[in-house]
This record gives sequence, structure tokens and C-alpha cells, in this order.
Amino acid sequence: MKLIAQVISWLALVALMLPSLLFLFGAMDNLDAVKLIMLIATVIWFVAAALWIGRSEEAAGSA
Amino acid sequence: MSDEYGVNEYERQPVPQCAWLGLRSFVGQYAGEHCAGTELMIGPLFVAAGVSAFDVVVGLIVGNALAVFSWMFLCAPIATRARLTLYFQLERICGRKLVTLYNLANGVMFCFLAGSMITVSATAFGVWFNYRQPALNDVYPNSAGWVIAVLAVGAVISVVAAYGYKMVARIANIAAPWMVLVFLAFGFVGIRQFISETGTAIHSAGDLWHMTQTAIWKGGDPLPGQIKFTFWHVMFFAWFCNMAMHVGMSDLSVFRYARQSWYAVASAAGMYVGHFMAWLCASILYALQLHLDPSNTDVLPGPLAYKACGIAGLLCVVVAGWTTANPTIYRAGLAFQAIVPGASRFKVTLATGAIATLAGMFPAIAMKLLGFVALYGLILMPMGAVVLIDFWVIKRFGMQSNYAQVSGKSFNIAAAVAWLVTLAICVTLVKLDPVIGGVRPFQIYFVSLPGWFIAAALYLIVSKFYQQQIRPTAGSAEAGEVAS
Repeated sequence: MKLIAQVISWLALVALMLPSLLFLFGAMDNLDAVKLIMLIATVIWFVAAALWIGRSEEAAGSA
Repeated sequence: MSDEYGVNEYERQPVPQCAWLGLRSFVGQYAGEHCAGTELMIGPLFVAAGVSAFDVVVGLIVGNALAVFSWMFLCAPIATRARLTLYFQLERICGRKLVTLYNLANGVMFCFLAGSMITVSATAFGVWFNYRQPALNDVYPNSAGWVIAVLAVGAVISVVAAYGYKMVARIANIAAPWMVLVFLAFGFVGIRQFISETGTAIHSAGDLWHMTQTAIWKGGDPLPGQIKFTFWHVMFFAWFCNMAMHVGMSDLSVFRYARQSWYAVASAAGMYVGHFMAWLCASILYALQLHLDPSNTDVLPGPLAYKACGIAGLLCVVVAGWTTANPTIYRAGLAFQAIVPGASRFKVTLATGAIATLAGMFPAIAMKLLGFVALYGLILMPMGAVVLIDFWVIKRFGMQSNYAQVSGKSFNIAAAVAWLVTLAICVTLVKLDPVIGGVRPFQIYFVSLPGWFIAAALYLIVSKFYQQQIRPTAGSAEAGEVAS
């Protein structure tokens, strides 16, 4: 489960960056699409990352 | 022994070897801490100050390197030898009463800093609620909507800081890598828009550099009400903006956990991510705004981020301001609580948050952030000089280190003179602002450099007289030696 969440969250970061990079190099010219993809990637990152970042510390803290 | 942070352990004893940490811990901490909401103000303010491309890029490279060296060669070597918090080390040198005064100054400065972070977050809500936002040279709040927004943001941040610190710390950890990439996206989107707006054809790095010189960081006169920034301003600002932490020795409390002093090189992660990439990216967005509409000089991170990256950009502004204002309010609360140890942590943090919120309503602090940050470093710097001289030098002159502890005094006059007289001299120099050989060497951005030497010399000279007058008692001297 943790591994899946990690993979999804790293993919979300790639999705966050890719549109702005494509926009920079002129391979994507619709800024609204860039913004939308960044928003979707942001939501996925926060959901997926919340499943693993800080979880091990919490477990250690409660033990 | 630990507080809510879980890191303030060993407050009155050296950190034992079993608690020492590796390099990675410090890289993550610095990269996260120095990519904050205030970066979204500082980058644009460089543009408002009329920086040129060479001055801002090379000035930041050099200034940030000097900041990293200050952590590595001034702060960390003492931290990894003494392994004490700054507060305990200062208490041994200065005595409890003087440390209380230092805590008060520290707490007040933290409140203003947190206030500017609340200001940054509140600019994001202006995009949604469309109230009148402050302009570049505004001092006072200029609309009821602004006051309500700052009050709302400040209230939430303060209550969370008082109640649920752990939750915010976790959100900050989760947000850190995302936030860094959103900052980078600001830069990518901004550069592309500049390419489109100027019709520049980019075929090489040289073409890109030419565009940055002619369209983004053009140099020339600053905007009305701003001070002109040259290479030296940028370099000294980058070096001294965290002066309280490195030269001022606040980060003794951090690096006392480091296995080796060179781990302070980890601060480069914070400097070159937050104080290079983030500042430049934020400045590109503001330069674009000026390029499109030269009459729109407002430095409002919310609208700037929204235009570049939409709601993800707005969220970045809110989260960057929130996650960094929270620990700042908490730290200010800790500083105040040290003055009134019996007061409840909850109430002190709430009161601190209220002061920060009040400060956040006044846009002058955020809009004059470059000067405020330099002042913040200046106020806390002399105590760093005192710690350094006391640790490395004072015994070579036949004097006693940790004098307050050894003599049983609660107020070390020598340290107080070094601190307050240095501040008085530096403030006077800044006010007089003499022109020497066509340059103004004592502007607020530069004065801390001579100030450090003044503080060091004063501490040594006054200690020579002070320690002769007040001899340690036999009992307290023995106690001091044992504790050392």
C-alpha cells in the first residue's frame, strides 16, 4: 500500500512539473490546460503523499 | 523533556552521542524551511529595487555561498563542540536577565516576521474575494476586506499554532517538495510568457541571458519609494538575511545534533532552492506584471501566482505562508514564555498570534521586507559575536568564558554593552548614511559587517575591565568549571 502511494505521489509530482516544462519549450501553448493539470496533480500529490509522509514517525511516536 | 516539536530536547545539557543526526536530516530541514511565503515577496522586491540580471544572479550565488560558509565555519563548529542550545549557551555567558531581554527582542522580531507571512497568505484570498489589496508603498491597511482577510488568516494560524502544531508540521513536510516544484513552475511559465511577449527567439543560453538582461532584470532606476539594489546589495542581502541564524548563532540549537560540523553544508539546500531559485522565479512573475502593465507596481503574491499557475499557484501562496508562519508564531511564543515561565503555552501562543496578526494588517512590513529582514539580522547579530568570542578567543586574553555562570551574575554587563552599544552605533551609522568615495557603506544592508567587529571588540574590551572588577566567588567558579 505504502509503495503504491509512493509511486502515485511521485507520478503526481512529474505531472505537476511536466506541463510547465512543455509550456516553457513551446510544446504546449494552452496555459489554462497547464493550470488545470497542475491543480489535478496537486490534489493527487496531497492525497497520496498523506498516506506515507510522516506516517512512520507517527507510528514511532505512538509506540 | 521534549516539547510539541519533539526536537527541543536536551535544553540544559549537551546533546548525547546517541541523539546525533546524519547529513540527510539537515538537508531536508533547510530545503523545507527556506522555501517560505516570504520568498514570494523578496523576489519581486528585488525587481522593484531595479536590479540588473548580472547583479541579481551573481549576487545571489556569491551571497548564498557566504551564508553557507557562515553556517559551516562560524556556527556549526561551536555547535558540535558545545552541543548546547543558543539560549543555554547565552545564559552561561550573559546571565538569565540579559537572556530574557534577548528573548524579548527575538520574540518581537519573530512576531513581525510571522506577520509578513500572514500578509502573504492574505493576498491569495484577495483573488477569490476581490477586496482592495495594499499597494507597494502602502503603510496602513487600505480596505475593510483586507483587514477581515488578515484577521481570518491570522486567527486560523494562531489557533492552529496553539492547538495542533503536529498536524501543521506534517502538512509542511508533505507540502515541501510540491511547493518547491510550484515555485519552479512559476519561473518556467514566466519565462515562456516573456518569450511570447517580447517576441524573442531563444536558440541558445546566450539568447536567454540577453532576454533576462533586456526584459526581466533590466537594472535602471528603482520604483518610486524603493532603494536601488546593486550587486553588493543583493550579495549582502543574501548573506545576511538569515544572519540571526548563522552569524547570530540561533542555529547552534539545530547543529548541536550534527555528527560533524561540515554537515552545515546542508544549509546550501535551503539557500539555493529557497533563496536562489524561489526568489528568481517569484521575481520573474513580478517583472512580467510590470512588463505587461508598468503602472501596476503592486507586489501581491496571490494574484501573481494565480496568473501563472492558477489555483495550484494560489494554494502554494496560502500553504507557503501558513506552514512557515505557524512555527514562527510558535517560536515567538517560546521566546515570550521564557520571560514568563509560569504562563500557559496555549495562551502565550494565542497572544503571540494576535500580535503577529495585527502586524500582518500593516502592509508596510511585507512591502519593506528587504529592510526589515536586514534589521532583524542586525538586532540579533551582536550576541552571535559575543558567543563566538567567548568560545574561541576570550581565554587567550586571560579572561573567563561563560562568565555569568562562573561569577553567579544574572546580567553580564560586558555582553550587554557589546549588544546594545553595537546596535546604537549601527543605527546611528544607518541614520547618518554617510557617502564615502561615492558609496554609502552604512546602509542597513551592509552595516552588520562592521557591526560584528564592533560587537566583538566591545565584548573583549569591556570584559577586560568588568571581569577585573567582579571576581568569581570560589563556589560559583567551581560550579562553572564542572558545568563546562
